[in-house]
Amino acid sequence: MRISIARIKALCRERGETLSGLLAAAGVSRNAFYSLARRKSVFPRTLEAVGARLGVRPDALLTADDAGTEEMRALLADVDEIVRRNRGIDRETARHTLVLLKEKPVDRLRRALVRSQRPDIH
Amino acid sequence: MSARKGLIFTEREIRFLRELVRARVDFMIVGLSAAALQGAAVVTQDIDLWFKDLEDPRIRKALKKVGATYLPPIGDNPPVFVGDNVELFDIVLSMHGLGEFDKERKAAIRIPLGPFKVPVLPIERILRSKQALRRPKDRLYLRVLGDTLRTIKASKSRCNKG
Repeated sequence: MRISIARIKALCRERGETLSGLLAAAGVSRNAFYSLARRKSVFPRTLEAVGARLGVRPDALLTADDAGTEEMRALLADVDEIVRRNRGIDRETARHTLVLLKEKPVDRLRRALVRSQRPDIH
Repeated sequence: MSARKGLIFTEREIRFLRELVRARVDFMIVGLSAAALQGAAVVTQDIDLWFKDLEDPRIRKALKKVGATYLPPIGDNPPVFVGDNVELFDIVLSMHGLGEFDKERKAAIRIPLGPFKVPVLPIERILRSKQALRRPKDRLYLRVLGDTLRTIKASKSRCNKG
């Protein structure tokens, strides 16, 4: 997989920016950018090889370095299991409860009080 | 009021609860704020406090320490606490559908609120009280409280297995 300069330029246009302006703002030199853009694949050979062996594209082996996302995935898996094991339970309530159980009691209470003061929060 | 100043349940309110605990006043947090403390996704405007004896002089002392006072019932108006630091608190005189204070207090759970713990009526009992009241606003929360309870039990059971 390689860098699509056309795609990046299109995104720049949408934001009213030029590619040069974007690189400058991002602190990336033109040399570094075009050097990477010329490569046939931006992925290291190791990842290409593992992906090829598994029969998937190398980007399928990546995950965003985001602990919050992983935590939410795990929580939603817990919700699935609770809903499966407890017939009729409301999924939203189960999810909210599991989220709240991760917080300190005082913060749970603050949420309940704040929401009553802010009917625009859902 | 704290809410008007953009802050809700700050150190000022916590201090009053701490003074009650420190003075060993017999009380517990009940109602939806108690449910919220235990993980229920509910909305509430105040924190209901159920006291064994409103005439307990230790309550007045705790109030004094946070610059507040007690106003006894006037006509049909229930007793209230007066003062900036206690406006969020409501006084509960009895809980419908539940037993006497002492009996319920024994089953109360202690929840940490910073460096100290407060006695809180368990969700099972809050649910029981709401079922007994059956007011429209209580009925709204029956399903939420019931499902919250089931979720907490399921979650604990998973943790114990894990």
